[in-house]
Amino acid sequence: MQTENHTKPILLFDDECGVCRHIAYGVRKLAKNKSGQSSICDRPIGNDPEMLRKLNPNLDIWNAYATIHVVMPDGSMKLGGEAVAEVLRSLSETRWFTWIFALSIFGFRPFQAMLNLAYAILADVHPIFGCESCGSPVAWVRPIRWMIDSAGAVFGLRRKSSAIPHFTVLSTKARATFPVSQSKASRLV
Amino acid sequence: MPDTPSKESVRTVTASTFNSLVLEGKGPIVVEFMSYGCSHCRTIAPLLEQVAKMVESKEQIFMVNVAVDQELAEQYEIQGTPTFIMFLNGQGIGMVEGLQPDLSSVLAAVTQPFE
Repeated sequence: MQTENHTKPILLFDDECGVCRHIAYGVRKLAKNKSGQSSICDRPIGNDPEMLRKLNPNLDIWNAYATIHVVMPDGSMKLGGEAVAEVLRSLSETRWFTWIFALSIFGFRPFQAMLNLAYAILADVHPIFGCESCGSPVAWVRPIRWMIDSAGAVFGLRRKSSAIPHFTVLSTKARATFPVSQSKASRLV
Repeated sequence: MPDTPSKESVRTVTASTFNSLVLEGKGPIVVEFMSYGCSHCRTIAPLLEQVAKMVESKEQIFMVNVAVDQELAEQYEIQGTPTFIMFLNGQGIGMVEGLQPDLSSVLAAVTQPFE
C-alpha cells in the first residue's frame, strides 16, 4: 500500500465529538503563524479505514477514535499524552516549556507521566461534557455525571440521555417505514 | 469506500452492495449498523469478529457504516449504533439494539432469531 507523504505532524481528531472538535479548532488557530502557514495539520479521523492506513499502515481506525494520535512526518505515531506533548511542541505559544516533558530522572520522565495522567483523566471525563459519540463514561466518572444530572434536575435542566444502555443515539432524522414487521422483530435486550 | 477484504470475518456492506449481498443473499445474514466513532461499536467489534468466526459455517455477518450509508440507516429506521438486523433469505426477521458488550450476549443476539 502506498503511504501518503506529509511534511508536518498530523493531529487526528474525532469530528463527531464536540470536545475534540473544539480542541482541534484551538490547535488549528494557534498553529498558524503570521504568514498563515501551520506548524501542525489537523484532520478528522473520518470513516475510511483504508485512507487512514495510507497515512500509516499501522493506523487502525478503532484505535484512532479511542486515543488521540499524532502521525509524524517520519512515519512514526505519538499516542495519548505523548501526542499532546507533540502538539504542544508544534505550537509557538507553548513550545518554550515543552523541554520539561523530555526531562528524565533515572529513565523516568515525571512531567511526561503527569501529562499522560492528565490526558487519561480528560479522555475518561469528556463524555460528561455531552459528547454523543463518546458513549457511557467509565465507572469512576458515572457518580460525577450523576451529580451533574441531579444538579441539573434541581435547576430544571435536563440532559438528553439514551434510552438503552450501551447504545449511541443518532441525531434525529426523518424516519421511513421499517421493513421488518414489529410482530416479527425480536428484541433480545 | 471499498468493501473490506474477505479475510475479515465481518465484511463491510455499502448501499451499492446491500441488495446483492443481503437482500438477495441465501440463509441467515446479520447486519450490524455501526459507526467508527461509536464507543459501544468499538467495544463490540472484537467480540463480533470472534462470534463471526464461531458461526461462519452457518451465518454471514456484515456491517453498514451509518456515517457513510445514511440512507440505509434511515430506510431501516436505525435510531442508534450498534443495531443488528437479522435477515433470513433476504427477509428481515429481527433486530437488536443496545447490546451488552459481552461474548454471550453478542452470540445470543446473532443466533437466537434464527432458531
